[in-house]
Amino acid sequence: MSTVLDLIKPRLWPLLHRRSNGAARKYIRLGVMTSVAGLLWIGVFLVSLRVLGHFNTIEQIGPLLNFKLLNMLMVTALALLVFSDILTALSKLYLARDLPLVHALPVPAHRIFLARWLEISFDGSWMVVIFTLPVFLAYGMVFEQGLLFGLVLPAILLPFALLAAAFSCLLVLLAVIVIPATRMKNIFILLGLLAFVAVYLAVRMARPEQLVDPEVFDSVLAYVASLQTPSSPWLPSTWAYNALQTALEGQPARGLLDIALLWSGTGVLLFICVGLADTLYFRGYSRTQAAGHKFRRQPASRRRRRSLFSGPTRALIDKEFKTFWRDQTQWSQIFLIMALVVIYIYNFKVLPLEKSPMPTFYLQNLLAFLNMGLALFVLTAVTARFAFPAICSEREAFWIIKTAPLAMRSFLWIKFAIYFLPLLVLTEGLIVVTNTLLKVAPFMMGLSVLTVLVMVPGIVAMGIGFGALNPDFRTENPAQAVTGFEGLLFMVFSTAFIGAVLALEAGPVYHFLMAQLYHRPLSTRWFLRAWASGLLVVLLCAAAAVVPMAIGRKRLERRGI
Amino acid sequence: MIELHSIVKTYGTHTALHGLDLTVPTGEIFGFIGPNGAGKTTTIKIIGGIMAPTSGTVQIAGIDMARDPVAAKHRIGFIPDRPYLYEKLTGLEFMQFTADVYRVAPTVFREKAEALLKMFALADWGEELIESYSHGMKQRLIMCAALLHEPQVLVVDEPMVGLDPVAIRMVKNLFRDLAARGITVFMSTHTLAVAEDICDRIGIIHRGRLIAQGRLEDLRRDIRGGAPNLEAIFINLTQTPDEAPGEVPQP
Repeated sequence: MSTVLDLIKPRLWPLLHRRSNGAARKYIRLGVMTSVAGLLWIGVFLVSLRVLGHFNTIEQIGPLLNFKLLNMLMVTALALLVFSDILTALSKLYLARDLPLVHALPVPAHRIFLARWLEISFDGSWMVVIFTLPVFLAYGMVFEQGLLFGLVLPAILLPFALLAAAFSCLLVLLAVIVIPATRMKNIFILLGLLAFVAVYLAVRMARPEQLVDPEVFDSVLAYVASLQTPSSPWLPSTWAYNALQTALEGQPARGLLDIALLWSGTGVLLFICVGLADTLYFRGYSRTQAAGHKFRRQPASRRRRRSLFSGPTRALIDKEFKTFWRDQTQWSQIFLIMALVVIYIYNFKVLPLEKSPMPTFYLQNLLAFLNMGLALFVLTAVTARFAFPAICSEREAFWIIKTAPLAMRSFLWIKFAIYFLPLLVLTEGLIVVTNTLLKVAPFMMGLSVLTVLVMVPGIVAMGIGFGALNPDFRTENPAQAVTGFEGLLFMVFSTAFIGAVLALEAGPVYHFLMAQLYHRPLSTRWFLRAWASGLLVVLLCAAAAVVPMAIGRKRLERRGI
Repeated sequence: MIELHSIVKTYGTHTALHGLDLTVPTGEIFGFIGPNGAGKTTTIKIIGGIMAPTSGTVQIAGIDMARDPVAAKHRIGFIPDRPYLYEKLTGLEFMQFTADVYRVAPTVFREKAEALLKMFALADWGEELIESYSHGMKQRLIMCAALLHEPQVLVVDEPMVGLDPVAIRMVKNLFRDLAARGITVFMSTHTLAVAEDICDRIGIIHRGRLIAQGRLEDLRRDIRGGAPNLEAIFINLTQTPDEAPGEVPQP
């Protein structure tokens, strides 16, 4: 066991060093990130408390419905844990950079495996556990349970997470013998996304908005309560659910068998894993390394394709596109975005505008106005995934840019140009199609298209600029860059930017629509206000496009590699 | 060709370079040696324009790096010690990328690229993705790319790391040939035999200060009692009694 702990020490020591270094900036970042996560946590808790409390007041079916939801939550949590643990296990067991050093140590493979399993259990489950915890606490409060429930909860959640990690590790150990880890990861991400999209589409096509219709609400609730959600006695989620249910009913002793099943299940799976590790783990690791050397010939044509651009612009555009399309992990992301676009458009197609008590003309245009914000939020998310990591994705080859006869300003603006056009087409496409489905007035269509046209450069520039503030060129996964402090700043500033532009436009648009609706003439004051708002919007968009890029450029120029 | 004036570089409270002054004339191979952490890579990065000095100036072919970095970098071929490249491009595509960035005429690119790849024994690998290259092959590809635009100055950090003996001999001959054609080579290395073999002048940096520079014979002569080779000069100049390594324990 001491060898296993020794293998984990390199992971723990930097935490102590970080504390002793005590850089104030790191503490500020940590503080901001913790505050945001804390607010999110409180939000989940309050919403859960409100929803569960409300359901509990419904006679007869209320508590039953809450237990059904708990069962669904446990099944979902198990699926999330297994998905997250498999990805973490593939990285930790087969792809991590420190593995050559670790495997050169005179340590048996099963001990390396055990040390990695502990890391996988933590890394793969902390987020799921932390963000399901407020829901469980809300359950405890709604069912009026006290300290005992608080003590039983970790005794259930800890083996639940460990068991999911052991199960995922076992799957990975066996699968990597057949498919090398590098390819396995891509296949798994794609399958996971396909499953997510399928479930999401199925839920969306089931028209959950009908729940707000009072005529069907009661019958739907009764139906959900009577649903036979998966509760196989072989599923660990059922054991966890049973233990939680008995604890919520104030009889935790009745759940002891289920808790024992969770712990013993973990033990059995771990025993099998450790038994197999000496035979399978090193074989799989060795196979993964050999798979990395697979040669992939890319026939080069003797003549280059014609290009609109020349020099560094052509060089960077060519490089960016080739790198993007040859990285299979990007394909799954594109697929996901396409699915989300379909869902987004479908939402507008099925809107029951005719049932609303408000005038249709007013509602159509109000929705079109709000749709601008929504489409721009979609743009923010897509920018965060693709444009924000654009600088970071240069990785350690960034020295090539630093030594090249290319001004950092040009480098950043070329990066901007590469992402600007596809993102502009995506956002304008969303706006035009949804506005057409809403049958909005030409004024609103024009305003939406124009607003998006002036705002897209700002949001994309913010993505590139904030991404250039502090890129981690050593990261193994540049796409994760957005989960850091600068990613958070980008999301906050982009949201504030969208909010500010919509707030500036809201007044003049409202008065224009009212004038149209009641056939009133527009006053001179309205024209003045509309012009002033338009001018401010343009200035704000220009600032959003220029300032983050300038700050990002300065940071990159100062930065060594 | 390369002129460093009073270069100071600090990292927080630590000073890596203390007012470095150095001039390397046209067509000279200058070897830059020093113990680990002496400031070699920092100096190389400052010459290559990767890092800005805290104070002082760098001139490449008479161009101030701070004032016109694009023009200065145009004249440099930079070869780092670790060959990080765009792994999803092929060798030939990386050469094309470099040619575009350095504005090598499309009419001459193909011929030049193929000649360089052949010279560095990569001709059969031009259409393979870089991710399938070995460390030494990546290092050779970087050298090909660095020479593609015919730089006036070649800045090289540890040129022989990862190369096989045949490639080492070829690179040594290449550097001599480049210098004979008026190209300045600034080379940092721990391989003292290489420095001894091909460098016209050698500079020894220690704790951020250039403690000696000159031709090998001059350095030898300056050591009290003489020194048989560069290794002896290096140890004599950089080793203080408190830094002497402990004796190897007997089994």
